[in-house]
Amino acid sequence: MENSTIRKSKVWSPEKIDEIQEKAELGRYRIRGQATKRQDLPSFDDLVFTPAGLSRVALEGYREKCDTQVVIGAGRVKRPLVLETPIMVAGMSFGAINSNAKKALGIAATRCGISTCTGDGGMHPVEREASEKLVYQLLPSRYGLNPYDLKRADAVEIVVSQGAKPGTGGTLLGQKVSEEVANMRDLPLGVDQRSPCRHPDWMGPDDLGVKIDQVRIATNYEVPVFIKIGAGRVYDDTKLAAKAGADAIVIDGMEGGTAASPEIQLDHTGIPTIAAVVEAAEALHEIGMKDEIKLIIGGGISNGADAAKAIALGADVVYIGTAMLVALNCNKSLYVEDYEALGTVPSACHHCHTGKCPVGIATQDPALMARLNPEEAADRVENYINSITMEMQIFARSCGKSKVTDLDPTDLRSLTMSATMITGVPIVGMGTTRKPYWANYDHSTEMTEMALR
Amino acid sequence: MEAVKAHMTIDCNEVSQKDLNKIIADSAKQGIKEVLIKNPQAKHNLGVGITDPIHIVYEGDVGYYACSLSDHISAVVHGTAGWAIGENLMNGEIVVEGNAASSTAASMRGGTVVVKGSSGARTGIGLKGGTLIVGGNVGYMTGFMMQKGRMIICGNAGKALGDSMYAGTIYVAGDIAELGNGAEIVELPAEEYEEIRSTMEGYGMKAPASFKKIVCNGMLHNFNKKEFGVWKTVL
Ligand SMILES: Cc1cc2nc3c(=O)[nH]c(=O)nc-3n(C[C@H](O)[C@H](O)[C@H](O)COP(=O)(O)O)c2cc1C
Ligand code: SF4
Repeated sequence: MENSTIRKSKVWSPEKIDEIQEKAELGRYRIRGQATKRQDLPSFDDLVFTPAGLSRVALEGYREKCDTQVVIGAGRVKRPLVLETPIMVAGMSFGAINSNAKKALGIAATRCGISTCTGDGGMHPVEREASEKLVYQLLPSRYGLNPYDLKRADAVEIVVSQGAKPGTGGTLLGQKVSEEVANMRDLPLGVDQRSPCRHPDWMGPDDLGVKIDQVRIATNYEVPVFIKIGAGRVYDDTKLAAKAGADAIVIDGMEGGTAASPEIQLDHTGIPTIAAVVEAAEALHEIGMKDEIKLIIGGGISNGADAAKAIALGADVVYIGTAMLVALNCNKSLYVEDYEALGTVPSACHHCHTGKCPVGIATQDPALMARLNPEEAADRVENYINSITMEMQIFARSCGKSKVTDLDPTDLRSLTMSATMITGVPIVGMGTTRKPYWANYDHSTEMTEMALR
Repeated sequence: MEAVKAHMTIDCNEVSQKDLNKIIADSAKQGIKEVLIKNPQAKHNLGVGITDPIHIVYEGDVGYYACSLSDHISAVVHGTAGWAIGENLMNGEIVVEGNAASSTAASMRGGTVVVKGSSGARTGIGLKGGTLIVGGNVGYMTGFMMQKGRMIICGNAGKALGDSMYAGTIYVAGDIAELGNGAEIVELPAEEYEEIRSTMEGYGMKAPASFKKIVCNGMLHNFNKKEFGVWKTVL
């Protein structure tokens, strides 16, 4: 049959038909890893940098320094977190990924002078050893939480929610609850773990303030305390987190990655990262805390352009999960037959939830894990982090900034009306005044009117 | 060498909350056996993150998070306790002579917490080990997502008792307003009753004549599309 004559419906696309039929089989919503696959979200690609010319002087790459260091908690805690480049490895639980992946991320982050984060499920000893700077997550589930690990952390992140599933708890399907994961989380072996969406011991922002005090006491006021929130009502949430006493606020946009979330939620909840950073920065400016409280932004950051644009819009640091896994080998064209067995292909895999990761990252199966060599993987992640750092520096230097975090919204122009509406950045061609040069020309229609008379 | 004092007293009217916690932690490290906290006035975070053995006596009411994120401690509260007393306790023993507010012993991992009065909503929520004894009633969502350990409740229990529990055991002597999803009542063996009775006796408490034993029925352990009625309320 001649394919070109077959008309496909936009309403009943092949993807929708597939989705309905899968649900007809499953009897529940689809759960999967990675992130939203929506193609229509506004993104940092809608912005471009406006480099220096005559109005500003660019920096000489080979001899003029472009600083990348960021310090979180300076003047607020005894042991602020120093990041040599404004990047953090996002929290990814031991359980979602395995100890080889944790080790590789830790080695790479340590070499680059940045932090990793435990994610849910407790502090794995391998990760603590590999990561010089380790952020310890305190989540509603409290899996593996204990005062000793709290004291061994370099920062504590109280998780309210994630960009991939704001307003819901975590999921770890039974196939990933191995003996080690079950022991660390105090769970029965192989159980489909659903974790709660609310903390067990505080409800609102006032309680959260008391909770932060508690964490500060338990850590001897030494390390910064972050609050992580999936992007939703960002403007209000940011103000409330600041009032509760956070040293840094992590906002995770709707593009944020996951090891397992309901697909319907990935695609239909939260707000995109580009919008989230603007709202959060606005809120901190408004309460006069923009310099003191650091803003960490995550969700779909893949290169130095995304990172530098997020920083120009007000972030101090970017928080990267999925791209770190990709640098480890996620979605690489290796063991192709194993991708096919999962019903996918390299570059389209989102099967972290299955525990059958073809490249040995999101799995606890020893045979699959052996496919990830932590030392080699660490080299790749280190190279990737260094590349993004250099890319950020390119933008900062070309805009005449001697510090990456000095990038600001005036260094940007927007390519689309929607990005202009979201960020307030002028659209290209409109200059800084947002008025065309011919705005004051005589627009009189007198001649036409006379002729028509 | 100067002999280590066995006891010390701290008056909350005279020291800040920050200093108070440091004094308790340092005293425990130095081997001081007992600290008396005068005038706690329901202040929050009194006795947090203490990981060396010490006995703490609170001469009055305490606020949120007393004796939380701690290990090896023992404590008595001569009054009532605010939210989350004994939260994430690793091991040790805490006795509250009066009532406790919500989230008592949330995510506790070991040791024993005893509330001689009643305890509010979310008592023993996310319990990961140890024993929690409540002399009176408990509120809504008690034992929600409990993972291990046991809870002994001498009075009545509110709605959603043991909802989504993974494992562990809850004993209730009084009425249960409503069992949570995935929880079921099973027969209580005589030797288990005897164990409860003697544990309570150790705290000067008289066990009620009988208990209902509640455990996880396993229905929520792995998703089953044939059990939609249950899953729709929890997933
Ligand atoms: C495999 C995986 C596991 C994750 N586990 C956690 C977790 O345990 N806790 C958490 O707060 N966020 C978790 N996240 C979300 C990340 O911390 C981060 O918010 C997100 O990955 C940022 O978006 P990106 O992946 O596009 O960089 C996870 C993400 C991935 C990809
Ligand atoms: S390759 Fe592995 S880590 Fe990457 S999406 Fe697939 S299962 Fe997840």
